[in-house]
This record gives sequence, structure tokens and C-alpha cells, in this order.
Amino acid sequence: MIWLSWRQFRAQGVTACVALVPFAAFVVWTGLRLRDDCAAECVRAFQGRLYLLDAVLLALPAVLGMFWGAPLVARELEAGTHRTVWNQSVSRRRWLLVKLLFTAACAAVLAGACSALLTWAAAPYDRLAADRFTALIFGARNVAPVAYAAFAVVLGALLGLVLRRTLPAMALTAAAFVAVQVAMPTLVRPHLVPPVTADARMTVEVLRNLRFLGADASIEGLSVPGGWVTSTSKMRRSNGDPVDLAHYGSCISASPDLASQCIAALDLHVRAEYQPAGRYWRFQWLEVGLFAAMTATAGALGLWRVRRRPD
Amino acid sequence: MSRMNSPDRPVLEAEHLTKRYGKRTALDDCALAVPRGRIVGLVGPNGAGKSTLLNLTCGLTTPTSGALRVLGARPGGNLARVGFVAQDTPVYAGLTVAEHLRMGARLNPSWDGALARRRIADAALDPNARAGRLSGGQRAQLALTVAAAKRPDLLLLDEPAAALDPLARKAFLHDLVDFVAELGSTAILSSHLLADVERVCDHLIVLSGGRVRVAGDVRDLLTDGRRLEELVLSHLEATR
Repeated sequence: MIWLSWRQFRAQGVTACVALVPFAAFVVWTGLRLRDDCAAECVRAFQGRLYLLDAVLLALPAVLGMFWGAPLVARELEAGTHRTVWNQSVSRRRWLLVKLLFTAACAAVLAGACSALLTWAAAPYDRLAADRFTALIFGARNVAPVAYAAFAVVLGALLGLVLRRTLPAMALTAAAFVAVQVAMPTLVRPHLVPPVTADARMTVEVLRNLRFLGADASIEGLSVPGGWVTSTSKMRRSNGDPVDLAHYGSCISASPDLASQCIAALDLHVRAEYQPAGRYWRFQWLEVGLFAAMTATAGALGLWRVRRRPD
Repeated sequence: MSRMNSPDRPVLEAEHLTKRYGKRTALDDCALAVPRGRIVGLVGPNGAGKSTLLNLTCGLTTPTSGALRVLGARPGGNLARVGFVAQDTPVYAGLTVAEHLRMGARLNPSWDGALARRRIADAALDPNARAGRLSGGQRAQLALTVAAAKRPDLLLLDEPAAALDPLARKAFLHDLVDFVAELGSTAILSSHLLADVERVCDHLIVLSGGRVRVAGDVRDLLTDGRRLEELVLSHLEATR
């Protein structure tokens, strides 16, 4: 059964590896340049390029789910070859189990290799930016992508088994996986461990690094070095009273530099909930555990379905 | 076990066997007993329920109601002892002929590699040819070889010769008889071509409208010198 799984997978596996060669080469080249006499200013200049590579790594599991997972069973059902292979001396459940394990393992190894490469390449930048815990980059480093890839493939196979058609299964796999990847950092991950609450004073320095200052005194983009800020309150005065919006409004209509000084002079504070840097690995493994559980659930549903499935 | 392996016990027993697909009834309250060591012709018009009966027998489908025992076990419970060649003889287009044999060897503990290689050579199939490039007849030969080389006690063939031209069909059926005898097994083949059935089968099941119209030994059924075609047509016309 392993031989057949490998033989049927071979072409797709080679295609994926060949397609990822330019990606790997670009990652290595970027990693080398980041280490080649590159000072802080120079490292920061790589931000855009690294975001692009992060995006590729985040998309990789979805692509594997579509091209490795969805056709795994659906293609057999479309071609009718399930009627041949299900009449060998191997039970349907064992057939599916071996196929799932083999393909998910290949996806995990490939995603793991890509992630290891990018984690190495981006290390100088990550040290400087201290943002590897943030929602987007978290899923593009270390072990999390391994679990994403395994889950995407098994999810794709399950949808192919249920829908019995490759193309709809591919489309639904992509949609479902993206939905999970959006829900995870926004709805689930912030609550895996109760966050730490802290009071932050809005200094000129802090204000300059914000992404957004709202007219209602809300802010976006507060960061904690190496940690992950999950929510921030509106700005308040140090005694807890709301901001005098008229005064504040006149501040933010000034030029950005002056605005920061003007607001800082108001001595404002926010309450921030965040996950401190020390929890990074705990969250990586929690993420792996969660996706491993979802992978196992999808696999079990598939095994149940393939046994009961009327032709 | 003794009862299961007893030579008198039918290889296939059905009682009140019914299969519905939604509102359509494919098989309706069928009773059957197929004796061991025969080549059984399963005939009837298109949509009579032939494929349904074979799919139920190999366990690809489950009955809506009724009982079905295959080699003394539930259908699909004896994967190693039942060989099945599905309609349109599905094979893996991307795999070569030799790789199909390797698949068979990997997936079947009772695989007879010598038999498989000999059959491939007899059918003049190039072991390095991809199955997707084979003609319909060659594909049927390959599928039959894979099903036969696991040395099943029961070989099920769903319209195996449908894709073949008349000459290839004749050769294919001749082969089939040879190696059912060699395996010492039972074969059930469905066909809507009565001439094929007449050529090779010694037991007959006529299905029509999801019901068994007649079943039995060909010699018993053809006692008065009638041809098979007349017999079948008379049964089918009587039920119209």
C-alpha cells in the first residue's frame, strides 16, 4: 500500500518540489544577504521581501491541500479506479489510512523544510523587529506550518471523498482552509492562554510607532517586543477619564511629528492585553496540537465515511 | 469453517435481496443460489440490475434489505477471495502494465506473479506501456489479469468484453474459460450479448426489471433443443 501511495504521489511530489526550488533559492539568497555585513538599517530594508516570502509560506498549506489532498480520493472516484483498488485484498479503511498518512507526512516534511529555511533566513530581521509572535508571522515560522500542511491535506482528502469531484473539492478545500487560517489568529489563538494586562503610557516614541490613531482616541499597532498585543483600549487620561476629544482632535490634525508630541503632552494611557514573548514556544506547540487534533478528526471522519460510503 | 468451505454450499446465496437508489428499485426481492465451479452468465437488458448485483456481491454497495452471503461471509468480508473487474475495466492511466502487476503483488497476499506475467505475455501486452495508452481490449486484459492473479475463489466480471471487437471478444472469453478452469474457481460474468454467454457459460441467470426471471444450469434449461437466445427472449417477453 505504501508503494502504491508513493507511486501515485510521485508526479505531484516532484512537481511541488520543482515549483518550490525558486522559492528556496530566493530564501537562501535573502538569508545570506541579511548576514552579509548588514546593519540595522539594511536589515529593515528587507521587510517587504520577507513579507512576500511569509505570504508564500502561509499559502503553501492551502496549495498542498488543493493539489495533494483534494484529488487523493476524488480522482479515484472520478476515474472509477476505486472499484479496482477496493477489490484488492486491502480493506478500504487501510487503503485510505495509508494514503492519508503518507501524503500528510510528505506535506508536513515539505512545509517543515520551507519553514525551517525561512525561519533561518529571517532570523536577523526577526531579532530586530521582534514581531515573530504577531498574527501573520507566527504562522510562517518554526513548527506551525508543519501542522497546517498536514491538516490541509487531510481536509482536502475528506472533502474529495464527500464531494466525489476533484475541482469542487479543490475549491472548497482552499475556502475552508483560508477560513480556518483567518479564524485561528483572530478568534482562537488570543484566548488559548489568558493574556497579560498592562498599562501603557503613550510616549512620543510609542505614538510614532503606531499604525493608526483614530479620531475617537482608539489606536492600532501597539507592540510589545517579542510579544503579541491582542487588544488595546481607547486612550484615556492617567486618572481613567476619557480624553478631551476637542483638544486631542486639534493634536491629530497637526503634522505627524507634532501630533505625537502634542498627544504625548496630554499624558494618555491605554490598557493593553498581550501575550508576552516568553510564551512564544508554548503557543507554537499549542497551535501544532490543535491542528494535529483537527487533522486526526478529519482523518477519522474520512475513515468512517469510506467504510460506509455507498457506491 | 467446515460449513463455509463445504463444496455443496453455494458461492453466492441471496434471499429477498433488494437494492434501491432513491426511488428507483434496481433489484427487487431476489433469491439466488450460485453453485461452485461454474461460469455463470448474468444476462438481461440494460438497467436490469446486473451491475447492481455484482457491486453488491463484491461489497462496493450495500443492500437496502435482504440477505446476501458470498463464500459464506458478508460481501466485502472476503476481499482476498473475490476478484472483481468493474464495468469499463478501470485501471490507473498513469501506471504501466508492470506497475499494475506490482500493485497487485503488494496488495494481495495470495498473488500469483507467474500467472500474471504469463497472461500479460499471452495477451502481448508491453509491460512498460502506460495503461492509459492501451486499447479497450488490452485494458480489459490487464484488469482481468490483476483480478485473476490474486487467485480468487470467485471472479466477478461486469461486461468484461463490452469494449472489445468481436474477434478480441472471442479470444478473451476463450481465455477466461481456460483460466477459470485453471484456478478452479467460480466466475460470474454479466453481459447483454447472448452469444458470448452461450459460448462460455454453463449456468444462467436472467435478470429483468430488477427481478430474477430464470436461473439454473444451461443444460437443464435448454433440454428441448432450444437456443439460449430463444429461451432468454421468451422469458423477457413474457415479463414485459
